[in-house]
Amino acid sequence: MAQVALPREEGIINQLKGQFPEAIKETKVDRARRVTITFDKDHLLEIATFMRDQAGFDHVKGIAGIDYPPHKKIEVLYFTASFSKPDIQDLVVILKTELPRDNPSIASVVSVWQSAHFHERETFEMFGVKFEGHPDLRKLLTLDNWDGPPPMLKDIKFPEMGQR
Amino acid sequence: MYALWPVHITTACCSAEFGAMMGPRLDPERFGLQAVAGGLRQCDLIIVEGTVTKKMAKRLKIVYEQMAKPRYVIAMGDCACSGGLFHDSYSIVNDVDKLFPVDVYVPGCPPRPEALLSAIVKLREKIRREEVFA
Amino acid sequence: MTTPPAETKPPAPPITITKTAEPSTLDVSVGPQHPGSGHLRMLIRVDGDYIVAVDLDIGYVHRGCEKIAEYRNYVSNIPHLERPCIIDAIHLNWGYVLPVEELQGVEVPPRGQYISTIAAEMNRIMSHLYWLAINAGVFSGHTTIFMWAFGDRDLFIELAEMLTGARLTYSFLPPGGPRRDLPFGFENKLTKLLDYFEKRLVEYDRIFFSNPLVVARAKGIGVLKRQEAIELGVAGPVLRGSGVKYDVRKVEPYGAYADLDFEIPTYQEGDSYARFMVRFDEMKQSIKILRQALEKIPKGPIARKAPLVAPEGEATGRVESSRGEYAVMVMGDNSDKPYRVKIMNASFRNLIALPYLIRNVHVADMPIIYGSLDYWPVEADR
Repeated sequence: MAQVALPREEGIINQLKGQFPEAIKETKVDRARRVTITFDKDHLLEIATFMRDQAGFDHVKGIAGIDYPPHKKIEVLYFTASFSKPDIQDLVVILKTELPRDNPSIASVVSVWQSAHFHERETFEMFGVKFEGHPDLRKLLTLDNWDGPPPMLKDIKFPEMGQR
Repeated sequence: MYALWPVHITTACCSAEFGAMMGPRLDPERFGLQAVAGGLRQCDLIIVEGTVTKKMAKRLKIVYEQMAKPRYVIAMGDCACSGGLFHDSYSIVNDVDKLFPVDVYVPGCPPRPEALLSAIVKLREKIRREEVFA
Repeated sequence: MTTPPAETKPPAPPITITKTAEPSTLDVSVGPQHPGSGHLRMLIRVDGDYIVAVDLDIGYVHRGCEKIAEYRNYVSNIPHLERPCIIDAIHLNWGYVLPVEELQGVEVPPRGQYISTIAAEMNRIMSHLYWLAINAGVFSGHTTIFMWAFGDRDLFIELAEMLTGARLTYSFLPPGGPRRDLPFGFENKLTKLLDYFEKRLVEYDRIFFSNPLVVARAKGIGVLKRQEAIELGVAGPVLRGSGVKYDVRKVEPYGAYADLDFEIPTYQEGDSYARFMVRFDEMKQSIKILRQALEKIPKGPIARKAPLVAPEGEATGRVESSRGEYAVMVMGDNSDKPYRVKIMNASFRNLIALPYLIRNVHVADMPIIYGSLDYWPVEADR
């Protein structure tokens, strides 16, 4: 397959790399309209503010956690996109960061993207990630449903579900 | 005791077929079924539609105990009868008959509205048999 | 009480209920058993007849779909991932299957794309009719539109049964393309139904959307301004009713939408009536799309065989379901079961609008605002 030039996707990567050279660890253009950027978790608020104000990515579609027990890390993914800038409306930029598995905590982006409010609550209860600065971090979906440890972690196995 | 009024509580996705049964195609009002929005003390039927999570189970029990006797229960859908598609999940109550006694089980995922209506008819026959032998 | 309470201090952040209650307020639980709401619980703080703040309690239908998805293989995942929004099952199915096909490198042939589009637009009409009957009709006390909309919806369900074999839960799109081709006589029946339904929409307009009672109850209620809608990250008709023209079918076309000609209805006012009208116009656009798709559908195979395993990697796909944008991230690990499935649906994203809009309104406005958001609790809880 011929390599198609993807100027908008490359443009965002270059903007971020130029602004935060030490915080951006890895960048990848997965395909047209999808960019994955791995960054260092301590620079989350600066990167988020830059993405919102300079690059125009004004909302978060979702926040996902992925658990990797053998690597002893939990990855947190932020799916950001833009409503207000028509020329980048079809891009989804996935900001990825790693947290240590035994005490995962990261700053909350609710002060930058208000749309992240309920997504952070859900990631907190499903993976145990503490979002510092969240105004109301408490259980959302598992309030009376499940009292044990965060259920989406890989070592919480439910034997009735069968083998993986 | 021939007109059963169901409580207005929806449990999970089978409620879409419960709504379809209440529509004009099947017209359950000829059997006396009316969705009365008055309150649950005037109702005598709970239809447990679909999956019962632990959180919902507590509220279902409260609603069941607040209804005036005689009261009846229909377990609609595979999830209410025995857990169904989600039987191995961590937040599900698999057997609704642990919460309260069930009168009619309607299998299906979701059951057709005609099946639910025939369950109402069976329940009415069951009620008629009870009164004869009371 | 005839005037809203004066706001002497700056309003508290709109999401949480303020911890110190005024002595004149009362906390009421609008619980899961309520004729005006579905399976969620809102703790509302009421001051006279005005709702001062709302605290949400969801999770009554949380069945752990994302955890279950890691223990079933890619095809077996389809039934339980399409149950969250059972009245819109094709879109949920398609949203899950798009990233799986991207990971596996399978391309659906054009006839299969057209059949998926036809099924999806029929599903959109069915879901909007359900919204019209229950969320806009029963919650505001208008039971005639409940009867009419459910009657017409049953006609579409019959056609869906003819196409897929099931009334609501189709499981119609495994990875690779639709399961069945259009049966003999389907085009004629669908065309006749669309002609009938177009005339019915005129009657719906007269009895509901132009009804002075509905207009008085919904106009000016629950206004969400354009900048607030963008910041809160809402999706679907809630976004389009506030003036943001954003629809995944035009932004990132999938299926056959790139070849079809249709418009995205957008209203600028941002009140509940604008959200009602967005869905009404979407039904008209769906009729237009269905007619074009029936004309333009090409001949050929409908599906390609997809492998049972997916290679390592992540893929994110999105479709425009009836409630808004539905995005799924699937992560494969060279086995026949996914490593992680993350679902981002419109109802969960619109949750933030509920406590934001239901503030300083009459108690009787609450069902109207709730109905105009078309919040489907089962979908948000997964």
